[in-house]
Amino acid sequence: MSDRVILLVEDNPKDEELTLRALKKGKVINPVVVARDGVEALDYLFARGDHEKRAPAAMPQVILLDLKLPRVDGLEVLKTMRADERTKLLPVVVLTSSNEEQDLINSYSLGANSYVRKPVDFAQFVEAARQLGLYWLVLNETAPLAGRR
Amino acid sequence: MKQRCLVVDDSLTVRMDIGEALQSAGFDTVLCADLRSAREALAREGSVLVVLDILLPDGDGLDFLTELRSSSATARIPVLLLSTEAEVKSRVRGMGAGADEYIGKPYDLGQVVARAKALTQRDTSGGVASGRRVLVIDDSVTFRNELKQSLEGAGYHVRQAATGEEGLALAAADRPDAVVVDGILPGIDGATVVRRLKSDTALRGTPCLLLTAAEGTHDELRALEAGADAYVRKSEDLGVILVRLAALLRGATATGGETSPSLLGPKRLLAVDDSMTYLQELGSQLRQEGYDVVLATSGEEALELLAAQPVDCILLDLIMPGLSGQDTCRRIKQSPEWRDIPLVMLTARDDRDAMIEGINSGADDYIAKSADFDVLKARLRAQLRRKHFEDENRRIREQLVRRETEARFQRLIHSNIIGVILGDLRGHFSDANDAFLAMLGYSRAELEAGALRSDVLTPAEWRERDETAVEQLKKTGSATPFEKELFRKDGSRLPIVLGLVLLEGADKTVGFVLDRTEQKVAEQKINKYAVALEGANRELESFSYSVAHDLRAPLRSIDGFSQALLEDCNDQLDDQGRKYLRFIRESAQHMAELIDDLLTLSRVTRSELHREPVDLSALALAAMTRLQRAQPGRKVAMVIREGLGAEGDPRLLAVVFDNLFGNAWKFTSKCEGGRIEFGASSNDGHPAYFVRDNGAGFDMAFASKLFGVFQRLHTAAEFEGTGVGLATVQRIVHRHGGRVWAEGEINRGATFYFTLEDAKERLK
Repeated sequence: MSDRVILLVEDNPKDEELTLRALKKGKVINPVVVARDGVEALDYLFARGDHEKRAPAAMPQVILLDLKLPRVDGLEVLKTMRADERTKLLPVVVLTSSNEEQDLINSYSLGANSYVRKPVDFAQFVEAARQLGLYWLVLNETAPLAGRR
Repeated sequence: MKQRCLVVDDSLTVRMDIGEALQSAGFDTVLCADLRSAREALAREGSVLVVLDILLPDGDGLDFLTELRSSSATARIPVLLLSTEAEVKSRVRGMGAGADEYIGKPYDLGQVVARAKALTQRDTSGGVASGRRVLVIDDSVTFRNELKQSLEGAGYHVRQAATGEEGLALAAADRPDAVVVDGILPGIDGATVVRRLKSDTALRGTPCLLLTAAEGTHDELRALEAGADAYVRKSEDLGVILVRLAALLRGATATGGETSPSLLGPKRLLAVDDSMTYLQELGSQLRQEGYDVVLATSGEEALELLAAQPVDCILLDLIMPGLSGQDTCRRIKQSPEWRDIPLVMLTARDDRDAMIEGINSGADDYIAKSADFDVLKARLRAQLRRKHFEDENRRIREQLVRRETEARFQRLIHSNIIGVILGDLRGHFSDANDAFLAMLGYSRAELEAGALRSDVLTPAEWRERDETAVEQLKKTGSATPFEKELFRKDGSRLPIVLGLVLLEGADKTVGFVLDRTEQKVAEQKINKYAVALEGANRELESFSYSVAHDLRAPLRSIDGFSQALLEDCNDQLDDQGRKYLRFIRESAQHMAELIDDLLTLSRVTRSELHREPVDLSALALAAMTRLQRAQPGRKVAMVIREGLGAEGDPRLLAVVFDNLFGNAWKFTSKCEGGRIEFGASSNDGHPAYFVRDNGAGFDMAFASKLFGVFQRLHTAAEFEGTGVGLATVQRIVHRHGGRVWAEGEINRGATFYFTLEDAKERLK
C-alpha cells in the first residue's frame, strides 16, 4: 500500500469525521488531507494559495470528492481538474449523499473514475471505505502523472 | 358632355337622316362622306361610335374597320355597319372584321338609334342622380322633408306621398325612376306597396328601397321577400339611403337596356330560299314592314350567317338543293344558341304531308308560298309576338328564382351565427352581416360608405398570409380557414379565423369569420398554466434533490456517531444505554429507507416513460434472485411462468417486481413452506399478471387502503416496511395505462394483479 496522500474534499465536519473513521476502520492508513470546499481543493492540487508551500509534484493517490460544496462545487472541481494537464489523470471518486441519476451522469461524463453513495448505515460505510482503499490504493495502477518524471 | 358619333356614308341623304336622328337622341355627330375625312375626324376629335357604310368612293369600309381594330387607341370603339349588301357573305365578312352590329339598307331609323344607344351605353358611368325622379312614400312629414332635402341636394327630383295608396297612384301616373318607401304606413304597409309595384308589369322594373324600423332581421327578410331591391334601417344615416339608391339606379341602367326589348321595335329576319326571284320579292315586301332582312340562298349560307349575327326570326324554304330546308331546320333547332329563334317553314306545295314534314323537323310554323304576303306577314308577327312573350316570361321566372335564391342567401348571412363578408378578390367589402360589424365595432353606414377594406383592416404582418389565401382561392375556389388578425375600429386587434369561398361570378368572394378572442384567452390561460406547472415541476425536482442529498447527511451522523459511541465508549455504557443506541441507529436507518422509497415514488411520477418490449418473466426471476441472494438461508418455493412479455418501461417495471416480490418474500417469512408464484390470468380478454404468495395475507376489508402512501396493514414489529412500495407500484401501473388490485385473506396469502395497456390499444 502506497503512503501517498488521499485528498478528501468535504465541507461537513461530521461527514469528514465519519469518513476518516470509516477509512481507519477499513484499514486505510494513508495520510488524508481535507479540503473544505472546491476552491481549497483546487488550491491544494495546484499548490497555490494556502498550499503554495506544498511540493507541487506530489499528487494525491486518490481524491474523494463530495458534490455539494460551498463556493466551487464538486462537478466544477472535476471539470477544472480534467482540463488541466497536471490533474487530468488523477483518480477521482465521487463520494456523495445523492443517488440522483443526473448527478451520476454528470459525474461520469466529466471524467469521474468512480461514484459511491455514502450509506446511512455506518457499517456499510466502513465496508465501502475498505473496498475503496483496497481498489484505489492497492489494486489500481495509476497512470504516470504529467508533473513527475 | 355629349357623346360624339362618327357617321361615314357617301350618300348625303343617309348622312343627314342618321345624323339628325342621332342628334335628337342626344349624340353629337360628325358626318363624313369618305374614308379620308373619317380618318381625319377620328384623329382630331375621337368618337364613341362609328356608323360605317361599306362601299365608299375612296375605299372599302371594311378596310377602315380593320384599321380601327388593329390600333389600340381605336380597337374598342363600337362600329355599326350600314350597307345595301343584303347577302349573307357581306354580313359574315363585316361581322368577322370586328363590327359590333350590321344593319341592312334600307334601314329602320329607330333601329339604328336604338342600337347606337345600346352600343354606347356599355360604359356609361357617373351621374346616376342627375335628373332621376324618386318617389318618397312616408307618413312622417319631417322625415319626408329631410330626405327630400338630401335627395335634391344630390340632384334627384323628388315626389312625395304620405300613404301607400297615394304612393301607388302617383307611381302609376308618374313612372318614377326609383321608389323609397317606409315599412310602416297608416294604410297598406311598405312591404305591400313594394309587392304591388312589383306585380305591375309597367312598374316592376322600378327599383324599390324599403325603410325598416326595427333592428331585427325579420323585417329585412320580409322586405326582400316582398321584392324590395334593397332595405335600409330607418335608424341609419340619410347618407346610407343615398348610397343605396345610387347603387340601385346604377344597377338598373346597366341591365335596363337589354332586359326588355320592345315588341314593336325593329326585328332582323333571315330569309332562306334557293329562288332568287322569290327571295328578292320577299325581301322587299318585308323591308316595307320595317324589318332588317338578310337573304340567304342556301341552308349552308343560312347557318353561316347565324354563326356571325343573331336574328329574330327565320323564314326557311323546305325544298332546296344541297342542305334541304328540313335538315337546315333540324340543325338550327339542335343548337342551344339558335333553337329559340322562331322558324317559319315556306313551301310551294300546299299539302298536308309537307306541313307534317316541316313541323316534325322542328319548325314553329308553316306557310304555303302561294299565300299572299299579308298572311305571311301576319303569321310572322304572331311568331315574333309569341317569342317576345316567351322571353318575357322566362325573364320574369329567372328573376323570381334569382330573388328567391338571393333571399335565401341573405337569410343565411343575416342569421349572424358567424361573421360573413361579401367582397371581391382585391379585398373590397360590398356587404357584411351584423355579426361581423359587431366584431369590429363598425356601423352599417361605414360599411356602405366603403370604409371596410381588407388592406386597411389587416395589420401589415398578416398581409402576406392574406395573399397566400387569395392565391389558393383563385386556384381552387376556396381558401382553407386560417388564423389572422383584424384591426377593430378602436385600433385594437381582433384574432379571427377566416375561410374564403369564391362565388361562380369569378371575382365575388364570401368570407366566413370566426371570433377567436375567447379561444385566444383560453389558450393564453393554458399556456400560463403550462408555464406554472413546469415551474412547479422544476421546484419539485430541486426539492427532491435536496431531500435526497441533505436529509440523509444528518441521518448518517446519527447512525455513524451512535456506532462510534458503541465502539469507543462501550465500557462506559450499560445494557440499557447500548439498547437505546441501537434504537437510535435503527430509527435513522428506517428513516433513510423512507426517504429512499419516497424518492423512488417521486421519480416514478416524474421520469419519462420509455416503452419497449419487456420480458416480464425475466424481470420476475431477477427480482426473486436478488431476494434469495440477500437471505440465502430462507427456503421459498418459486413458480415463475415462462415467456410472459409485454410492452413497457423495463426500469419502472423492475421496480414493480422488486416491490411485489419483496412484499411476498417479507410476508411469507413467518410461515412454513412459503411459496411465491408469478403468472397471468385473463381479465376481459387482456392478460392480468399476478404475484401470489401463501403468506400472512390481509383482510379484504382494508383492501382499499393497500395502495395509499404510508398506509400499512401490519405493525412494524410484525413486518418491517415503509408503506410506500405499493403506492409506487400503483403509480407505475397507472402510468402504463393499467390497473392494479389485490385479493387476500388473513393467513392464507395474497395475490396482486396488474394489467398493462397494450400497444394496439394505445394507438387507438
